[in-house]
Amino acid sequence: MAYSEKLIDHYENPRNIGSLDKAADDVGTGLVGAPACGDVMKLQIKVGADGLIEDAKFKTFGCGSAIASSSLVTEWVKGKTLDEAQSIKNTDIARHLALPPVKIHCSVLAEDAIKAAIADYRAKASAKDETKAAD
Amino acid sequence: MDHFARLGLEATLELDGAALDKAYFAAQRRWHPDRFVTRPAEERARASLEAAAVNDAYRTLREPVARAVYLGSLSGVEMPGDGRTIDDPDLLMQAMEDREELAECAAIERVDALASRARDTIARELAALGGFLLHDDKGAIRKTLLRLRYLEKFLEETRARRINLERVGPAR
Repeated sequence: MAYSEKLIDHYENPRNIGSLDKAADDVGTGLVGAPACGDVMKLQIKVGADGLIEDAKFKTFGCGSAIASSSLVTEWVKGKTLDEAQSIKNTDIARHLALPPVKIHCSVLAEDAIKAAIADYRAKASAKDETKAAD
Repeated sequence: MDHFARLGLEATLELDGAALDKAYFAAQRRWHPDRFVTRPAEERARASLEAAAVNDAYRTLREPVARAVYLGSLSGVEMPGDGRTIDDPDLLMQAMEDREELAECAAIERVDALASRARDTIARELAALGGFLLHDDKGAIRKTLLRLRYLEKFLEETRARRINLERVGPAR
């Protein structure tokens, strides 16, 4: 099976590997896993005061397509608003990397991961607002 | 017919390996194509289907985790397919930590220690699963099967890591 150049590039030179401080208020963490293959993927975003995603990191233990999908998403979301990042679809990822049909679930996982990271950041932000309102 | 019935075995998690082998070899002999060469075409076709089903049953029941997942499916517990994330944050956290720990292992002894820890956990989860199956606690069965899947995957990764370390040689 032939993989696309873009996929191989992301797999061989993954962008933004690493971790951000999970406990920080301006960091959202999404942790997801594939039920069938046992892959696990962590995707984190750091949101600036202007509401734009200023940094994104990932750590994926899984196949090449899962690594490439999460690498691509961290690249895409940087500089975007949360709403823009939220609208990333797995089909966009799959198309960009030309994922073969059996690997489409890897792109779904990456979409779930960015959504989970955004949800985590938003939950933290609204908890902070409530604390402020209570003061 | 389910895999257990096909081999004439009781549907249970604690399957005796020797009994399974014995039942398998007997069933294989019974449906062996050599015994059907002079039989009519439909009988030959039936025998080859049976032989394939027997192989399939054996492959599934031989491995404890595959057997556990199969027993779960007999109790109506379907594992989520590909395409959505699993909904067990504790498991994901644990899986991520384990994989990070494994990735940082520089010594084979350390990898072996992690593998042995995972095998112990698998044994514990399997023991707990026995009780959940008995009480038909579908939520707990599903949760435990997912954990077992992840532990199996982790074991597979420890083997890969071990081979990598052996190839590179001891860290200097």
